[in-house]
Amino acid sequence: MTQLTLHQISRRFGAVQALGDVSLTIGSGEVHALMGENGAGKSTLIRILAGLDRPDTGRIEIDGTELALGSPTAVRQAGLRFIHQELHAVRGLSIAENMHLDHPYPLRFGLVNWRALHGAAAAALARLGLERLDPSHPMTDLGPGDQMLVRIAATLIGGGDRPPWLYVMDEPTAALTNAESERLFDVIHGLVGQGAGVLYVSHRMPEVLRLSRRVTVLRDGRKVSTRPISETGQQRIIEEMTGRDVGNLFPDRRTAGSGPIVLKAEGLSARGLRSANFEVRAGQILGVAGVAGSGRGALLRAIGGGVAITSGRVSVDGTKVGSSPSRAWRQGISYVPRERRSEGLLLGRAITENVTLPHLSALTRARLFLNKRRQRRLTEEIGRSVRLKAASVSQSCAELSGGNQQKVLFARALAGNPKVLLLDEPTRGVDIGARSEIYRLIRRLSDDGLAIVMASSDLPELIGLSDRIAVMRDGRLAETLEAEGLTEAALLARFYHLEEEEGVA
Amino acid sequence: MIWLIRRFGGLVGMVAVVAFFAINLPQTFLTLQNWLNISQQVSMLAVVAATMTVVMVMGDFDLSVGSMASLSGVVVATLFLQGWPIPAAVAAALAVGLIGGLFNGIVVSIVGILPFVATLATLTIFSGLAFLISDGRTIFGRDIPAAFGDFARGGPPIGAVEDRIIVLPNLVIVAAVVVLLIWVVLEQTSYGRRLYAIGGNSEAARLAGVAVRPLRLTAFAFTGVGSALAGLMYASRVASANPTQGDGLMLTAIAAVFLGMTLTRDGQPRVLATLAGVLVLGVLDNGLTQMRVDSYVREVLVGSIILAAVGLSALGRRGIAWR
Repeated sequence: MTQLTLHQISRRFGAVQALGDVSLTIGSGEVHALMGENGAGKSTLIRILAGLDRPDTGRIEIDGTELALGSPTAVRQAGLRFIHQELHAVRGLSIAENMHLDHPYPLRFGLVNWRALHGAAAAALARLGLERLDPSHPMTDLGPGDQMLVRIAATLIGGGDRPPWLYVMDEPTAALTNAESERLFDVIHGLVGQGAGVLYVSHRMPEVLRLSRRVTVLRDGRKVSTRPISETGQQRIIEEMTGRDVGNLFPDRRTAGSGPIVLKAEGLSARGLRSANFEVRAGQILGVAGVAGSGRGALLRAIGGGVAITSGRVSVDGTKVGSSPSRAWRQGISYVPRERRSEGLLLGRAITENVTLPHLSALTRARLFLNKRRQRRLTEEIGRSVRLKAASVSQSCAELSGGNQQKVLFARALAGNPKVLLLDEPTRGVDIGARSEIYRLIRRLSDDGLAIVMASSDLPELIGLSDRIAVMRDGRLAETLEAEGLTEAALLARFYHLEEEEGVA
Repeated sequence: MIWLIRRFGGLVGMVAVVAFFAINLPQTFLTLQNWLNISQQVSMLAVVAATMTVVMVMGDFDLSVGSMASLSGVVVATLFLQGWPIPAAVAAALAVGLIGGLFNGIVVSIVGILPFVATLATLTIFSGLAFLISDGRTIFGRDIPAAFGDFARGGPPIGAVEDRIIVLPNLVIVAAVVVLLIWVVLEQTSYGRRLYAIGGNSEAARLAGVAVRPLRLTAFAFTGVGSALAGLMYASRVASANPTQGDGLMLTAIAAVFLGMTLTRDGQPRVLATLAGVLVLGVLDNGLTQMRVDSYVREVLVGSIILAAVGLSALGRRGIAWR
């Protein structure tokens, strides 16, 4: 039996201890689950294991032989393979060619030997019971589930390296349907039966309970426990994942505003969102919770006009909102997107430009000519109120920290005096200091009478800030819970639609 | 120090080019008459490059400008043949430019074809139309009203040297007005700032309420009308029109915008920087011609200088990328 051992791995980013003294053993022939909330250190650990990042201290051994750190090549030669949730299929190439992207093509007289290429691909697919896939078909004909299986099969194609024996799978089922996930589980069973080990990272509790032999829980960069599945369970894992002292990161709870209904959604559906009904009053914060892919972000995008609404309606103060971002902004819905860099900022441009972008029409003379002084004044004013720290409002956003970039987006959202504020993961990649400032800001805005909808994967944040929490399951807004008195464990259990009594007794 | 080179390297290069010609052509290069010549020679290019800046601000291209210039020249000359008065013929040619530009805009923003492919196709279409309308011939001589040709040669007098009256060419005035107009549109209106936002991050701009499609569509109208106007200026200057006379404008205009981008702080297209790029290309052409450099050698030199300037600027911004 082969064993991979991590010895006291530590990694620090600035003031944040991403990993502290994490030790872990994974053996061949077992599925070992790695669990933890966002920011617990799972991704850092995987990056270090893959050789993409170096730990500050600690070492990795395989059967007593030390593995070179920070070298993807060494990791590969040691027989480790990484399966990520994002799929990178090359369009226009066949399944067999996609499988050979990091292997040399078989040649004959210096030209590609297509028969050998397809043969090798077919043999690898057959080892996973995937004979139904024809290696000569285009990769893009396959769904995401089959593409993932093909990627796993590709690791079985022979080469000079040691044959793969340990697979690290990072949220492999995030983009898969149930049926596709089942096929993946069959393949995982097959791999383990052939003597391979799997380090399985997932948020999805039922999968973990079903597949794994041991479970390791990380919290705030430290290992909480490693237990055989027989000695732990749903409830215990959730407690271990969430048992964090939130301290006074959040402002004190208050009684929710009971102003008039501002935002209302009726039978709303769009791409990634099957149905949602809810209303938010002035001065209220509605949290939106659920696992990745449950429709959390899609709900916000549909309200903000980022994706077209296929049926149902959104109204603000009783008026129907048009389904495009520009109409949503005009009708008082402002949106802070999840992906700060790709969906939010004009990164290389000045803060003023970023803040005023949705409000340019209001900042003009004769509805056309820009009033630059007014733009600067507005930006400075709003910048102060969100406590933006920058050299000047003409500084480029690329030079700001994550927290300050986020504040630029808040400033943009607030500059037009909106009625509704949509926040998608408002503290993603934001350090703890700026985080608490952002929480206070959100609360202050709510006290000023804004209706706020906040989607987040951070449970303490949802419970600490929201008045009510809408739980999304499979694209539906399944239920709405009062946030007061809710525990993280109880909320997480609602994600999986499990009764709270289960396992508590 | 490196920062200084990065920021002002392009400017220093331009001054060096001027200084080089001033030293090598001491009698003729730094005279008022020569600079008026240069400005007249580049006036068509300035108009096309300024409007090209409008689409390049969004990260798009318009490859059809050259053939649109040819087409508009042919249209105006053909209408003269049929006895149209000058204002009506000119207006019709500009309308052709507007329609062509909007067509480009529709194909790019509504249909969603990459600008490179879309305008490559319309380049061919406009060029074909120019040949169809003119029957492949050059239209010249008595068919072109004298007043139309006189426009390019005339202009308000600004002084006299040894009994010769020096005029500020009308074409230069037209180009200056166009550059000023584009500067106002791009730098002083919300319309222009939204175009810059699309170029910065089109998805972020869309989510921030910028109506990306209509803006992209209308921006192509600028290149359409601009290149039609340049075609008219050209036809006026040579008092004739043939279906290929504007073709050279497209590549030079794009080169001028890129040269200009090397001058701006953030590497963005800016219309005044584009104007500087146009002038550099004009000065190079004028100086090398005066030094009797063979025209083929001239092309090699100008191409190399563009490559060197844009290349050095790219290296200065992010260093050499070997892998």
